[in-house]
Formats: sequence, C-alpha cells, structure tokens
Amino acid sequence: MKLRVQLQCKNLHEYLKELSPEILDRLYNHPATCLAVYRELPSLAKNYVMRMLFLDQPLPQAAVALWVKKESQKAHDECVSVLTGLRLWHTQQLQGGLQGNILNPIFKDNLRIALLGGGKAWADEGSSLGPDRHARDVVSLDRYAMERWEVILQFMVGSPNAAVSQDLAQLLTQAGLMRSDPGEAPCITSAGFQFLLLDTASQLWYFTLQYLNTAQSRGMDLVEILSFLFQLSFSTLGRDYSVEGMSESLLTFLQHLREFGLVFQRKRKSRRYYPTRLAITLAAGITTKASSSSNPMDVTSGTGDTSFIVVETNYRIYAYTNSELQIALVALFSEMLYRFPNVVVGQVTRESVQQAIANGITAQQIIHFLRTRAHPVMLKQTPVVPSTITDQIRLWELERDRLQFTEGVLYNQFLSQAEFEVLRDRAQGLGCLVWQNVQHRVMVVTPHGHSEVKKFWKRHKSNT
Amino acid sequence: MASEDEWNLLVIVMDVNPIWWGQQAQREPEFTLSKCLDAVMVMGNSHMAMTRTNKLAIIASHCQDSHFLYPSKNWTAGDGAGDGAMDEAPNCGDGKYELLSVANNVVAEEMKRVMSTTEVKGNSTDTLLAGSLAKALCYIHRLTKELEAGEEIKSRILVIKTAEDCARQYMNFMNVIFAAQKQNILIDACVLDSDSGLLQQACDITGGLYLKIPQKIALAQYLLWVFLPDSEQRSQLVLPPPVHVDYRAACFCHRNLIEIGYVCSVCLSIFCNFSPICTTCETAFKIQLPQMMKSKKKKLKQST
Repeated sequence: MKLRVQLQCKNLHEYLKELSPEILDRLYNHPATCLAVYRELPSLAKNYVMRMLFLDQPLPQAAVALWVKKESQKAHDECVSVLTGLRLWHTQQLQGGLQGNILNPIFKDNLRIALLGGGKAWADEGSSLGPDRHARDVVSLDRYAMERWEVILQFMVGSPNAAVSQDLAQLLTQAGLMRSDPGEAPCITSAGFQFLLLDTASQLWYFTLQYLNTAQSRGMDLVEILSFLFQLSFSTLGRDYSVEGMSESLLTFLQHLREFGLVFQRKRKSRRYYPTRLAITLAAGITTKASSSSNPMDVTSGTGDTSFIVVETNYRIYAYTNSELQIALVALFSEMLYRFPNVVVGQVTRESVQQAIANGITAQQIIHFLRTRAHPVMLKQTPVVPSTITDQIRLWELERDRLQFTEGVLYNQFLSQAEFEVLRDRAQGLGCLVWQNVQHRVMVVTPHGHSEVKKFWKRHKSNT
Repeated sequence: MASEDEWNLLVIVMDVNPIWWGQQAQREPEFTLSKCLDAVMVMGNSHMAMTRTNKLAIIASHCQDSHFLYPSKNWTAGDGAGDGAMDEAPNCGDGKYELLSVANNVVAEEMKRVMSTTEVKGNSTDTLLAGSLAKALCYIHRLTKELEAGEEIKSRILVIKTAEDCARQYMNFMNVIFAAQKQNILIDACVLDSDSGLLQQACDITGGLYLKIPQKIALAQYLLWVFLPDSEQRSQLVLPPPVHVDYRAACFCHRNLIEIGYVCSVCLSIFCNFSPICTTCETAFKIQLPQMMKSKKKKLKQST
C-alpha cells in the first residue's frame, strides 16, 4: 500500500518508447529530433550509431557483438534493446542467412544532415526579416524567461499578484499539480509541492511532458510540436527566428511557449521570436540525474538565483535571496528565524521536516533542493550538503515509515497447538507466512499463498 | 554514462605541414589537405553532437608555429549554448545544427588564412608538433582553471600526424608527454604516413591509442570508429591492440636515435659519443684516475 504519490519524472527515452511506431517513424523525419534522440542514447549506443552512420550495407549481428569486450556484454545487450526499442535500427536478413543490422534509413539520413548539412533548412531563417529594431540581448532574454517561469511557480503557491491564462491554469490542474474545486481558486497538491522543489530544468521537462500528454486532446499534432520543440532546443540564444511558414496549431503552441517563457515574442502578432535559455536547455533537462545547476549553461545562471543556500552542520539554513518564492520554498521544510533585506535564516528541525513529509515531500527531494541551490562556497566542499544534515533528514523521514503495510489473510481459532504448528510449518515452507503468534494460535498468510495453504488444510483435515 | 557536470574536451592537433601535403597531393590527388580537414570536421561535429558538455578545439600545426583553428581568436567562443558574438550569422540553411555550422565555417576560414599567410622560412621543414601539443596543454590548463566549483573536465588530445618525426624536438616532446601524463590527459595519435616513434611513446605513456591507418581515404571512418569513444567507453569496446613501442631516445648532441649511448651521471643527458665535459650541465668527467674509482669517477653507463 503506497501512501504517498511520488512525482514521476520520465526521461525522453521512457517517453518516446511509449509512442506508437508510426509516430516514432514520423518523428525521425526532422534532423533536430534525430539529434535530440541521439544525444539521449547511452554512450555506448551513441558509438554504435556513429559507427554505422556512414555504412549503407547491413552489418552482420555477429560482427556487432564483437565490438565490445566480453565483460561489457551487459552494456551491449542494453544498447541493442534501446536501439531496437526506439526503432533506430532494423534487423535484416543478409545473404547467406545471417542476421544483420542496419540503421533506420530515415533516422540515418536526418542525423547525417544534422551533423554535416546537405538538407533543407530547419525553418526560415530570421535573416530574411532583416535586422530587428527591437533586438534583445541575452541578458534581457534570460531575465524575461526567469520572470515568466517564476510567475507560474508563484501562481502555484497562490501568490495574489500572479495571474496566468485559463489554458495554463487548466494544464496545471490536468498535470495534477493543482486541484481546483468548482467555485474555488485552485490550490496546490502534494505533487505540486514536490514539483516546486525540483530544479528548473526538471520542472520544465515535467511540465512539457504533461503538456505533450494533453496535446493530442487539444487537436495538436504531436509530431509537429515535438519537432518544433527539439528544433527550438538546438537554436542559438540571442538570435531571432521567423514564424513564417508555421501552421495554425504550431502558432498556438508558440503562444503557449511564450507564456511559459520558452520563447520571447514582443507582440502576439510579431513575426519573429527569440528562443530563451529555458528552451535551449530543455533537452538538457531531460536527464533527471542529480543537479546540473553548477553548469554555466544551466537555466538560471546569470540571474544568480540558483545558488544561494548555505547549510551549516548546526541545521541552520542561510538563504541569500529576496525572492518571495524561494523563501516560501525554504520555509516548506524549515522554521524561519530571521529575515533581513538580502538573507533569511531558517532552522531545519524535526517538526519542520516531518511537516514537509506530511505534505508529501520526500527527504530525497529536500536534500536535492539543498544541493542544487547550494551557494558557490558550499559547492567547493564535498559532500556539498553536510552529511549530518542529509543523514538526519533521512532518519526523520524513516521515523514516519515505522509501519509497513502488507496484505494478508488471518488464520485463527485452531483447535490444538499441533494443528497450528502443522499449518504454520507448511506456510513457512511455502514462504508465505507473514506473521504468527504461538500463544494465541493465530497466523497471517500472504493473499497469493492463501489458496495453497487452504488446500493443504482441507487435505490435512480429511486425512485425519 | 558520464555525469552531466563533466565537460569533455577534445583537442585535435592537425599536422598541416605544407611540404608533406604538397607531395601528397602529387602522390594521391584523391586525398588532399581539404579532404583531411573534412574528415577532421566530421570527427569534431560528431564529438560535439554527442552531448552538450562536449567541447572541441582544433589546432593546426605548421612548420614554425601553430594556430588555433577553433575556437579562433577572432571569434569569441561562447559556451555551448552559443551566446558568443554572432556577427557572422550562419548563412547556410542546409539543415545542419547551427552550432556545428558556425564552428565549421570558422575552421574553414581559419585554415584558409593559416595556409595563405604563413610562409616557410629557412630550411626547417619539420612540423612544430611539440609546440602545438604544448599549446594544447596550455589551453586545457586554462579551461581547467576557469571551471566553476563542482565541475570537472576530462580532456584528451588527438594528433593527426603526417610528416616525419623530428629528432630535434625530442626533448620538448618528452617534456610535453610527461606533463600530459601528470595532468591525466590522454594523447591519441592517428598517423597517416610513416610510423612515429615519438608519438608511439606519447600514446603509450599517457594511455592513449596509436593507430597508423592503412587507407588514408577512409580517415573519417577510422576517426569515428577508433578515436571518437572517450576513455570510459573505450574500456568497453574492442579496439586495435597496442603497437610495439620504439623507446629509443635521441642523443643531445646530434639528435640521433640511439639504443646504446653515454649518459651523464649528474643530469642524465644522453650522448652518442663520448665527450669529456657534459654539454648540458658542464660537469667535467675525470676518467683516467684509478685511485678515485669509487665516488668521483664518472663511468660510462649504458642506456637501453
């Protein structure tokens, strides 16, 4: 029995694998998606693709199997299954009856184009519009993107001066991050709390996934918007692109992206747009691995908003920020002590952490939050967050997990100790005994072992 | 899988010795410098396409000097997201990833500039490979220092070697190799023409791969198969076996490669024939004094 709903953040692979083969094949029609998919492959599989990229004949499977050393056979099998699962290569019968592998021709052609050119342009270049009189530089784009994203987060925590469009509010509800009862303002769910603690890249990716899931019900073409999204993530920051030649549904999508802060468009009808850093790192945020916030390319670098927390071994948290949102986030799992113009001081206590855990946040998420927002001074030490703190937060979480729920069937009212023991030994032999009490002659058996034990009991009864 | 916080830098040192390439164009017109550059660019693009955290630098090694082809001085190298100055907006809308097409244009431009402006002066026709390698190491060192806290960088150097070895660079070369070894930088070598003893040693000492390719025309394919995987992936792949390494040292007096020679017991300089005073540290050897047999006598040692 699972009490808490863990926020699942799928990566690109898991997402793509669930798509139907036809959609996958259509996706590979665009160089940008091919490159994005390629980047997400395991590193060994990337080398496989590279080795086969310029081959026109299928390779015998036996030859491919010889590429790796014997001890890495497991990694090899994993690569093969990934490549097959994503339909990146096909099996083909070779002359002489051997099985051979060949790269998916569409994927191969488009990856070659992405690497070496020779195809047609991804989209109409902005240069056809001439220079923009209201050109944006990188800094202002960064600021714009961050502002937009913060508005969404602030809306989630119910800040009164944050307003978002109907579409977006609906999306948040559909994603399960907010709950809206009819006639009431939407309020945040426990999944929403967990969402807030993720780093921006993961938040963005989670959000995009939810958007994609509902895209088809909005009458949008999944392939079209995915291709556009990947194209966006490979574009250049600080350059303008033209909306020329985009379909109606893509334009709607662009408006949504504008609201999330992924693209900057001066006016709704403006014929050019600028991708922001959020869009460009979207593909990077796909990996759900531990932080990449120290990465200079990370979403919020430059705004100085990600690295502000100092944690001391005495459970004090110093957060150098004056963003209401960040303070609210820190307050989710700590007790606020003081507030100064540029810094707030909090204390992590047993009560505050337990409170957070009761809200559905896990210890792992708290620790991840502290680690990804660590101050540069903290980043210099290893481990980044003192181990006393991480251990203690985990222990506090474990305190709540003292009870373990197991379903079972109770056997009681045995007539004699011998009968009880016979049945108990049988259940133990089957490995389905959950619990027993000899004095009271009761025992609990797992549900799937129940029928077996019952049968045995009947047989035993009829024999005696 | 490599962690996301780890940068992966590949420095390609390309031998552009004009004399060798001139002769090559006459020998095999189908494999010229531009073909080789194409292959290098394919390699570079593949490396950069692999992950966002992969970085690339290309150095051209000429007769007297070495030039950075990418990132070039004229073009302020932005980070991977490319927020560098984009004055020359990529004009080729042929479906290539923008970052790559910008990089390729820069490389081609720089290459043109290097080959047209650099003259071969004097009679030194050897490639300044040691100098280029040193430059590569300096570049790697600079990037390492510029890292922010919590970041790591893994670097390797790939040398594409054409012309003959130059024994005169032996000392500098060895210094570079040991510096690389100390910094944990792999040196890979892809040799197009005759075997290079120096590079064999470099690869052997730093744990890189040495490959003399039998077919020049297939350079790109060799690069992708053998040199594209980074050290982590190499441990899983079956790659060409290590070659037999020629460990002969060059003497300090005539720069000849020797197997047996004289070694100064003070500074360990190597000489092919005996001289009474070491030219490096100016130690005077007293040898004809039987009574000082034990300590002062500098006896001739054999090096292997």
